[in-house]
Amino acid sequence: MLKNAEDLEKLRNELLKDKKKEQTQIAVCSGTGCRANASEKVVAAFRQGLQDLGMEDEVELKNTGCHGFCEQGPIAVILPQDICYLRVKEENVEEILEKTVRDGEVIEELLFEDEGTKEKIIEESKIPFYKNQERILLAENRKLDPKNIDDYIAHGGYRALSKVLQEMTPEEVMDQVDKANLRGRGGGGFPAGKKFRTTAQAPGEPKYVIVNADEGDPGAYMDRSILEGNPHRVLEGLIIGAYAIGSSQGFVYVRQEYPLALENLTIALEQAREKGFLGGNILDSGFNFDVAIHRGAGAFVSGESSALMTAIEGWVGEPRPKYIRTAVSGIHGKPSNLNNVETWANIPLIMDKGVDWFLNIGTENNPGTKILSLVGNVRNTGLVEIAMGTSLRQLIYDIGGGIPGDKKFKAVQTGGPSGGCIPTQYLDEPIDFDNLSRIGSMMGSGGMIVMDEETCMVDVARYFLNFLKEESCGKCTPCREGIKQMLDILDKISQGKGEEGHVELLQELGDFVEEASLCALGTTAPYPVLSTIKYFQDEYEAHIKEKECPAGVCKELIAYVIDEKLCTGCALCRKNCPSDAIAGEPKETHTVIQGKCIKCGICLEVCPPRFAAVKKEKAGKKVLVEEGGN
Amino acid sequence: MSVEFTIDGKKVTGEEGNTVIDVAFANGLDIPHLCYHKDLEPFGGCRICVVEVEKGNRRRLVVSCVYPVEEDIKVETNNERIRNVRKTLIELMLARAPSSPKLLELANEYGAERNRFPVEPNNCILCGLCVRYCDEIKGKNAVGYVGRGTSRRIIFFPENAGEEAQECMKCQECFNLCPTGVMPSNFGIYTLAHFRLK
Amino acid sequence: MEKSKFVGLRLTPDEEGLAEELQGLLGLETKSSVFLYALQQLAVAYDLIPGERGKVYHNDWRKTVNRLAELQEQAQAHARFLEKIKNQSEGMFNDMVEMIKDVDTIVDQHGCDEGRLIQILLDIQRENNWLSKEAVDWVARRLEIPANRIYHIATFYKAFSLEPRGRHSVAICTGTACHVRGSMRLLDRVSQALKIKPGQTSADLKFSLDTVNCLGCCALGPVIQVDDEYYSNPSSQELEEIKEQCE
Repeated sequence: MLKNAEDLEKLRNELLKDKKKEQTQIAVCSGTGCRANASEKVVAAFRQGLQDLGMEDEVELKNTGCHGFCEQGPIAVILPQDICYLRVKEENVEEILEKTVRDGEVIEELLFEDEGTKEKIIEESKIPFYKNQERILLAENRKLDPKNIDDYIAHGGYRALSKVLQEMTPEEVMDQVDKANLRGRGGGGFPAGKKFRTTAQAPGEPKYVIVNADEGDPGAYMDRSILEGNPHRVLEGLIIGAYAIGSSQGFVYVRQEYPLALENLTIALEQAREKGFLGGNILDSGFNFDVAIHRGAGAFVSGESSALMTAIEGWVGEPRPKYIRTAVSGIHGKPSNLNNVETWANIPLIMDKGVDWFLNIGTENNPGTKILSLVGNVRNTGLVEIAMGTSLRQLIYDIGGGIPGDKKFKAVQTGGPSGGCIPTQYLDEPIDFDNLSRIGSMMGSGGMIVMDEETCMVDVARYFLNFLKEESCGKCTPCREGIKQMLDILDKISQGKGEEGHVELLQELGDFVEEASLCALGTTAPYPVLSTIKYFQDEYEAHIKEKECPAGVCKELIAYVIDEKLCTGCALCRKNCPSDAIAGEPKETHTVIQGKCIKCGICLEVCPPRFAAVKKEKAGKKVLVEEGGN
Repeated sequence: MSVEFTIDGKKVTGEEGNTVIDVAFANGLDIPHLCYHKDLEPFGGCRICVVEVEKGNRRRLVVSCVYPVEEDIKVETNNERIRNVRKTLIELMLARAPSSPKLLELANEYGAERNRFPVEPNNCILCGLCVRYCDEIKGKNAVGYVGRGTSRRIIFFPENAGEEAQECMKCQECFNLCPTGVMPSNFGIYTLAHFRLK
Repeated sequence: MEKSKFVGLRLTPDEEGLAEELQGLLGLETKSSVFLYALQQLAVAYDLIPGERGKVYHNDWRKTVNRLAELQEQAQAHARFLEKIKNQSEGMFNDMVEMIKDVDTIVDQHGCDEGRLIQILLDIQRENNWLSKEAVDWVARRLEIPANRIYHIATFYKAFSLEPRGRHSVAICTGTACHVRGSMRLLDRVSQALKIKPGQTSADLKFSLDTVNCLGCCALGPVIQVDDEYYSNPSSQELEEIKEQCE
């Protein structure tokens, strides 16, 4: 137990002394993404290998959180040389230990290779994916073992909290956050300092502070990676915020689909209590504070702030009409300050390094960085942290490496189901809260889904609307019934049953749902539809007038056919067809039985390239296949 | 503390903590409503009581059954924007309860088309009056919601009413509240043994 | 009271024993007092003299006897009920008792706090793979809340199931990144392989299939999660192998 600030500094110095200078470290990413790619086996192999070679005392092996370059995982970085090995498998470990760790040689095959120049890059910091980022938050992940609070302390952790408790009043803390213009990173972009003040000044006790880690946007996993990789960073920010507002009880609401984040967070809370960062009289300041974890149970809408607070009270997590701010009346009607994981994570940095440092990053009205999940049809998928103001082109091409397979960029969907699709003409636009809203989308939680020419925008609109229909709580008429009707129309359009007037009806309903819904799920639900109609109207018209899906996606508007002139009867397609929809004798031409075909596309994938006999036809009015193939 | 503001140009006074609809009714003004009931906690679900509130230089649509009165706001209850929203709401609700007398009356008033949207009747507009009445006034909690979104339904839990569910059968007070007027048939269909959602 | 007449009694050993017992029960000093007390009580019973019927002991004794008779009847009813359930399936009955005990423990672990309702239900779901009617009723009893609130929660959230789920959970990620990489086709294939649709459990209670929105492994899309393992776009062959591995 650390009784005061001096104890903390003493511990920190001890820990730093223990660390041998220039000790070799192997940092292996153990975030959920890399784990899904068997990184645990890599870690186990390293551990065993170090023992076998008798190096376990000289070399430190670290299980870290997400490094961000998820496309190329599992990742192992050898320090202090900063050698970055990608796609590391169990089989590679022995060689890495012997050649690199012991003998200091680099293994070429495991390095990053530039697509264009074929150049191999050794140091992590020189890889374009990392080089073009501004990783004030994510860079920490690589250095820390998230299950060990001492690591965090050794790297300067809780220094900000100590400084705040010793030297600053709550008013001064709020002042700093205000001046730094930290805007909510969960999507709203609302000034955090202003929200602190509203909560602090609102009448009522007790006051609550809440971390919103419900991260429901499909394709977004930034918050998960911070919680998994650096939970103390978030915790420290929360404690500082609680001190500023005058709260003694905090909650972290984590979705239960994030087991590793829950695990690491639980460990972090226990360790923080042991050390005295949570509990009574923290660091001898007279300030008391503790945190409880609430798990979500599988509903996107419960991430909305009033819904989340209702769930914490033990009721169904449905939104409430929010004419009185939750900062004034939240949990049990008491002032409650809710912020996103990333917002809280920024606070210790601002306290430690100062307002000016923060204002120097990003743009004038949007200082700081934003973590984005760059996913979809892009080469380097993963988590990216950029300074606000970085352009979409820089993000997708310099960091993301462009579109794989030499396909063309079509749109980038930002802001999750509440956002819109941004087409090519806006690629040079800077990424920040205000700008993305201006061009018809929004920042949202930071999901950036890149789409290439083989994406159908009608299908994208339908996908998001379907998601929202499933997740709507159903309390208010516009969202529940309005979204359903819009989806029915989109279904018809994608099935070739679209009619004149459908686009206008979608727009009318979209405006209605936006105006009349109870919560932000409803009011922002029409955006994907409205933005795709705005920028890709021609695709809608093709579906409605010509019954054609230009991108070749909508099932009812495509057909897989076998060119009889090219087919040699190798039967690979028939053997792999999951619904017995291909007929033919060996060595004779095969045909697709349209009525049974479920359009899975496997036949096209398995047909040997030298024959290339399976073709996907964009069916016009002539081939409109009936549903229910199996 | 009293609050002064205007509704449709008329000066009205309310108490702090009142909702706009409370003050409107107290002043003899009419606002259509379906899920509102003077003795129950406001719900804000049907949205038909929408009004437009001008505060400072900002105008927005809010539901009057929940919106708290504020000094100097200008409330309009029946302009074109509002009527459009109400019209679409009624059309959507008619798809669920096509023969509801209350809805047909409103449809007349707002020029709503009866078959604008494909009819998928379940005779329930999920106003929740029955649930809230049984919870708040009877204290029996014999009616409840299950599911979410378009799968949301109202279900009866007669065993909660007590005495082997006979009380629920004898009570039936929630029937009078149902805006669709079709409660009795719903009562039979949806009793909970052990509910399975599709 | 003046006593003048002496009445003697010859008692059999049994009668003597009874008198002694009564003497103890009534807290009287001599055996003769017992007979005097009995005389008095009979006179009161026949309304020959005014008085309270039976002192404390007498009333209590009768109450006790009545109560015992009541309890005996209840116990016999319970026993008949238990016999009925037991006869259906001894295993099932024991399971139910164990299950209620587990639910009780979970409620206590959360401090019997109404605000922790969703957390309590999550723990019960994880423990038993479903929320049975008995579990719901018991939680409602302990937390003193109406059952309709619990049913709303149980049917609102995807994590809960009011019917037993399969031993192995199979989830296909339908997040945007996976969708763009063809998760719907993967879903079709898996659905065919397991012969169930999303939201269903196989008849042998082996598999439950569901869709989930974003597992956060977007680089591996399209992703399927079987229990705690993740697989990236497995082929039909690989799917068969995975199926085999699950018991």
